[in-house]
Amino acid sequence: MKAVLIEGLLVALVGAGLSLAANYLSPRGLKLSRNYFPPPPAVSNAPPTSLAPGGGLTTNLPALSNALALRLQARGLSLLDSNQVIHLFHDPAYQQEQVIFIDARDDPAYQAGHIPGAYQLDYYRPEPYLPAVLQAAQFARQIVIYCNGGDCEDSEFAATLLAPAVPPGTLGVYGGGFTEWVTNGLPVEIGGRKSGVFKNAPSPSTAPR
Amino acid sequence: MSLDAPTKRKLADLAGVLGRWLLGGLFIYMGLNKALHPVDFLKLVRQYELVAHPYLLNSIAAALPWFEVFCGLLLVAGVAVRGAALMLALMLVPFSLVVLDRALGIAATQGIPFCSVKFDCGCGTGEVLICRKLVENTLLLLLALWLLCGVGTRFALRFRLQNPRGGPNRGAP
Repeated sequence: MKAVLIEGLLVALVGAGLSLAANYLSPRGLKLSRNYFPPPPAVSNAPPTSLAPGGGLTTNLPALSNALALRLQARGLSLLDSNQVIHLFHDPAYQQEQVIFIDARDDPAYQAGHIPGAYQLDYYRPEPYLPAVLQAAQFARQIVIYCNGGDCEDSEFAATLLAPAVPPGTLGVYGGGFTEWVTNGLPVEIGGRKSGVFKNAPSPSTAPR
Repeated sequence: MSLDAPTKRKLADLAGVLGRWLLGGLFIYMGLNKALHPVDFLKLVRQYELVAHPYLLNSIAAALPWFEVFCGLLLVAGVAVRGAALMLALMLVPFSLVVLDRALGIAATQGIPFCSVKFDCGCGTGEVLICRKLVENTLLLLLALWLLCGVGTRFALRFRLQNPRGGPNRGAP
């Protein structure tokens, strides 16, 4: 019995060391010291009244959206609904990059389909994407960040990551996310940014002007 | 026809080898599924709300999948078999308990029968029905405990780390 316990202890020690080494060497490894899930500041229970430029979402929100709106408000961010996002997508300023979209999902999800023209910013591995995103964000008057929607928090965290580096009041999180975008039958770009390949070919009424 | 004692021992040992390969193979598969998608696993571990400190949470999510792969490789190769089986047994018990606790919470929140609860428990096999998962974990735990008894010595590189030449289970191929 004692021999088994000693053997188990050895397996545990060697295994723990090798496992941490494997994580360190893996290109997909996690950074142990990074706080991937920064907590939101304390929020009040009052429902938000003004959430984003253009207004729209007030007290008729489903519970999830309301909770998200409160969290975003506490972070100094605004929640955007699909009407606002579609309006921004069609805004001429989108072509001039005064309005930019940022996709906070990982690379496979982005390559499989994203909002046309959206920049990529994988929140969990942001380094390769940050230079392009920060450069674009400096000149934007409105930044729309999205992930899958629903209970996906990646857009919220990505917005928190960007907040110190962009002009205040420019960041908005699209709560419905990519799932809602697709459900609404809006155009989806496949592959890299501005690849020109669309899943739903943009019609004159849906294409960014 | 009744089998004599040495034949029974031999058959039990061969069954042990198969059990060792099965348990090891499953943990390699499940561990790799998580190790190759560490962010997804990190998010799932976070949902259990077991630890609050980021360093501890990241360490668990970073090391656990590779540790499962390591133990699985030991079992398949037949190295330190009882030590690896002990570690897997010690992991399976708390895993099953936290998965059970989470499933009970989901069942209560959603008002659905316990066995209808289906979610990704972070076990490395995607979304699973909770009852099936608990049965599976119980069987794996029994298998690990059986290996602790010292069966499956054939085709083992070094069944015991200490005194590999001594004792009845010396692990000769």
